[in-house]
Amino acid sequence: MNRYFLYLVLLNMLINVIIFVPKILIEYRYEGAVMGVLIAIPLGFSLNVVFSKMISKFPEKGFPEIFSIAGKKRWFIILPFGIISLITFSSGLISLLGFVDILRRFVNPEMPYVYLLSIFLTGVLLIIQLPTDRVMYLLEIVLFLNTPLITFIIFKAFTSEFLVWDSILEVGTYLFAKPSLKAIAAASYAFSGYTNLIIFNRIIKGKLKMWNFLVILVLGLINLFTTFFIPIGFHGSDGAQEYLYPWISTADSLRLVYSPIERVIFLFLIFYMGITLMSVSVHWHVAFELIKGTYKESRKKNWAVLVIFTCCTIICAIFLNTILLNKITVHWMIVRLGLEIMIVGLFFIWARRKTA
Amino acid sequence: MPTNEVEQIKESLKSKIPKAADVVFKELHTKEKYIESFYIKTISDETVLHDKLLKPFFEQHHPEEFRNYLESIPQIKSFESEEKAIEELLNGTAVLFYQDSVFLFDSKVDRNNSVLDTSVETTIQGPQSGFSESLPTNLGLIRKRYPETFLNVDITKVGKISKTEVMILHDTRFADPDTLKRIKDFLSSLDLQMFQTGEQLLDSIKKSNRAMIPLMLVTERPDRVAVNLATGKVILLVSGSPFAVVLPTVMKDFMSSMADIYQTYWVSRFLQLLRYIGFIISVCLPGLYVATTSYNPEIYRVQLALSIAGSRNAVPYPSFIEVLLMLFMMELLTEASIRLPKAIGPTATTVGGLILGQAATEAGLVSNIMIIIVSFVAISNFVVPINAFSFSLRIVKYFILALATLFGLVGVVIGFFIFVAYLVKLDSFGEPFLTLVQSKPQPHKE
Amino acid sequence: MKTNGGWKIYSLFLMIAFLVGGCGFKDIDKRLFAVSIGVDLAKDSSKKYLVSLKFAIPSASKEQPNDFYIVSQEADSMSEAVRILKTKVDKEIDFSHAKVIIISEEVAKSRGNAGMYYWFNRRRDIQAITWVAVGKPNAKDILKVKPKSEQVPSNSLFLALGKDGSETPYVIPTYLFDFKYRLIERGIDPILPIIEAKKDYFEINTAGLFNESKMIIHLAPEETKILNFLKSKEEKSSIKVERGKTVIVIDSQMVKAKYKIHTPKGSPPYIKVNVSVKGKLEEASRRVANSQLYQYEKAAEKTLNQEFKNVLKKMQRAGVDPMGFGLRYRSRHFNHDDWEEWKKIYPNITFKVHTKVQITDTGLIE
Repeated sequence: MNRYFLYLVLLNMLINVIIFVPKILIEYRYEGAVMGVLIAIPLGFSLNVVFSKMISKFPEKGFPEIFSIAGKKRWFIILPFGIISLITFSSGLISLLGFVDILRRFVNPEMPYVYLLSIFLTGVLLIIQLPTDRVMYLLEIVLFLNTPLITFIIFKAFTSEFLVWDSILEVGTYLFAKPSLKAIAAASYAFSGYTNLIIFNRIIKGKLKMWNFLVILVLGLINLFTTFFIPIGFHGSDGAQEYLYPWISTADSLRLVYSPIERVIFLFLIFYMGITLMSVSVHWHVAFELIKGTYKESRKKNWAVLVIFTCCTIICAIFLNTILLNKITVHWMIVRLGLEIMIVGLFFIWARRKTA
Repeated sequence: MPTNEVEQIKESLKSKIPKAADVVFKELHTKEKYIESFYIKTISDETVLHDKLLKPFFEQHHPEEFRNYLESIPQIKSFESEEKAIEELLNGTAVLFYQDSVFLFDSKVDRNNSVLDTSVETTIQGPQSGFSESLPTNLGLIRKRYPETFLNVDITKVGKISKTEVMILHDTRFADPDTLKRIKDFLSSLDLQMFQTGEQLLDSIKKSNRAMIPLMLVTERPDRVAVNLATGKVILLVSGSPFAVVLPTVMKDFMSSMADIYQTYWVSRFLQLLRYIGFIISVCLPGLYVATTSYNPEIYRVQLALSIAGSRNAVPYPSFIEVLLMLFMMELLTEASIRLPKAIGPTATTVGGLILGQAATEAGLVSNIMIIIVSFVAISNFVVPINAFSFSLRIVKYFILALATLFGLVGVVIGFFIFVAYLVKLDSFGEPFLTLVQSKPQPHKE
Repeated sequence: MKTNGGWKIYSLFLMIAFLVGGCGFKDIDKRLFAVSIGVDLAKDSSKKYLVSLKFAIPSASKEQPNDFYIVSQEADSMSEAVRILKTKVDKEIDFSHAKVIIISEEVAKSRGNAGMYYWFNRRRDIQAITWVAVGKPNAKDILKVKPKSEQVPSNSLFLALGKDGSETPYVIPTYLFDFKYRLIERGIDPILPIIEAKKDYFEINTAGLFNESKMIIHLAPEETKILNFLKSKEEKSSIKVERGKTVIVIDSQMVKAKYKIHTPKGSPPYIKVNVSVKGKLEEASRRVANSQLYQYEKAAEKTLNQEFKNVLKKMQRAGVDPMGFGLRYRSRHFNHDDWEEWKKIYPNITFKVHTKVQITDTGLIE
């Protein structure tokens, strides 16, 4: 059942577009984004491999189960679990806020932000309470419905006559610029879907095979190339950075001559509604389950957590505007990368000691 | 058994069964012996009584010989308790008092045992006959199609008043013991007065007794039952109902027709794809219409946008009222054509569908496009092969329509996924209701 | 599922959301679709632009074709114009189907319009795949034209520019996003098709070339065709070749152009353009034997070489670069001041055009 692992990583690659990764990369295109991407690939990939290899030593167990044997001291669990769930929660939060902002801009311009957010929140809160295997089943269905069509759109973008390869190459000539940390952090996000294994390892049966990682590497390469360079090919090495959401504007620049819906942007957004819903749900499910792992099963506490999630989201929705959200995301990416390295490292040492 | 005890039983039975018109208490005499029989003639088969009881009674002269005969024929059960005897009596068994013992003679009449044609799940090819309303006949039909020693049949009774016999069938090789246990627990926990047919279970499966999506498949086809037995499903046969219940049921079962097996591979694949598309269309299309005409007309091409705008020009109210109006009309039409006698049914559909639709557009009540959409929704709803499920879908589209009215396109998409999430959340006796890849049954090790 | 009762509470939550109100609900028949936008310079007025919108009036029946009407407003900026225009119509103006933006020649030739160009890009409801074109003599006249074959207002323009309908090498359609891309990208300049309004039809066979945000020159029809060849955008075309007294016309099936910028050390830089044309002979003023085809190919090559060179030189002299030579140069050089270098190189660069023509056959008749 290794395909579940693939889904988790793929989900993060797809959500890239929403969570400002293209924007960050394109902003630093002349200041080390290219090198940053090149560094992020091995970095993200190796983190991915190390962590998933390590956690597969605890078959069908998530973090709460693994550490329930290990620690008697409660703070030992609460602190790291709290930090991790904060990170996964905020990851979902940023994609949610970002996507609702996109929707408000492109689909429902006259709708209040929080109103539009409410339907997403409803969906997400329903989904995160499902058992882990059900979340995965749902993810599989959503990916099955959406990915082929998103792939088609990406294929269309690649074969469009308006994709100017010279512009892409021009950015490529800034290869030797000093790599920027922000770009590395943003680009490595594509590989960081493995962190969801913290909970989703519960349903992964059997060992992860080599080809699994190979597929991820190839997909990651294609994905980073697409997120970074396609908007540049459409909007220019100088012009792409002017767009608030480079990829959405790129989708708007495609035209399907023979399709009943001519404007690709709507197809693109419709497909991404499902993807975003699932991405947020998966991240929040991880956060929710981790928090649940720190106390004894109790419905009241579960409800309290959900209420906190909702309140956080609405408060952030009210106080953050797009530009601020974008700025925060840049810093969040760096913090995330740092924590990820730390967690993978600590877990690696701990698991070695435990299993040796 | 001493004689006075027999007399006691006789008296008490007589007093407990009120003297209805069809209650028979008869004494038969010959020179050497006499027998008393006690039965209800409307539910007992008098020809059996005549052939198996009366004839031998008068042919065999010796009392012991007749007693031996009685003890050896398969219809005879010995008396266990009074309650049991009354219960049996009410089911058509005759109680015999012979010498100093009491026998229960199985003379149940098996009415309605003619095999019916399939009328709900019709296929073009393949077997055309369904179940009968008689339990033994139905079991016989299944046995004939499933001649396996592993086929296990348990009997329980459901219903406080009706005490309906329910047979639980499963193949011991494939059926999951956990599932079987869950089903048996479920049946014994049922709190029903009258149990007439398996469809009643659909609601009972939820604690609240209010379900939207059916979680068990009710079928009238013996071939479907046989096929499902082989995939490890558990079958419930209910006495007096020409429908069998298949458990556990997942969405894939609702979307498959028996015709799939009787068609070539690609044809059946194509038909399946068609059904899933029909499923999505019937759920989403009304919502999509509202979302696109009222929130995002930029989705259409110019030509289409203008023609929709043109045809809506005369319509005085917002799009969602228009949709609701037409959907409501269509629901009435569907409902009416089920209730109508078969002879008038098509006329009603024609009058309703064609003439009303035409007149409604002429009068400017609805737009042309709307008529197309409503009929599209109706047709694609009927593509779903199992009726119980397609009825549920009829309701879901209103949920999505409401979200579309409030949130536009986002409402449709998110509403659809919430619906899918709900389906994924459901489970039927431990089996997840909806997954992309359904795991195949494997013979479990014993 | 432990939280089974949750669904009820969620529905309550949704109900609250309902009460907040469905915003943005506006039926399609309450919207007025602007199908094309025209921008002229305001005349006899202190304002800057004259903005015209062409609205489609949807017709209820199939028999009568959709009608349209045009509303104009003088204003200093686009948004001001739209704001005032809103007061002149009864329904909500919807730009989502504005698929053509016409800029009059005067506007295109004047400076300082970048803000106006960006306005189109900035608005979410104007498609990025809107076509942009220059209107001659002015934009409003273009909007007024109603060809007989047209069922939906402006549809004939959509078809002509979208190449869904007629395919001709004399049109270089440009999308809004591409126009903006070329405006901002260093090393590639915008091209816009020029539409000329006649009484009952349009004529689109010339193209205007921009440098930065200002139209500098326009190309004649034949030159437009050559530019299209260079861009390898349109392959079906006809090429007229004269050899001696014989005039033949080649119906081209395939035109491919490739170019490379050479900057050899010590010698002047040049651009080598390789064009290969494949086609069949469509018309000849005299009988052409199959054995002679080779000579006609040579003649065609010679003619084409000259035509390509003329167009390239014309663009170079005007200082415009719609082909993106500058971008190509930038993309092949790793140093960061390559754009400054190119600005020095381009005015003096020479073009070496090598054309290869292949005439496959002479049609059904030899």
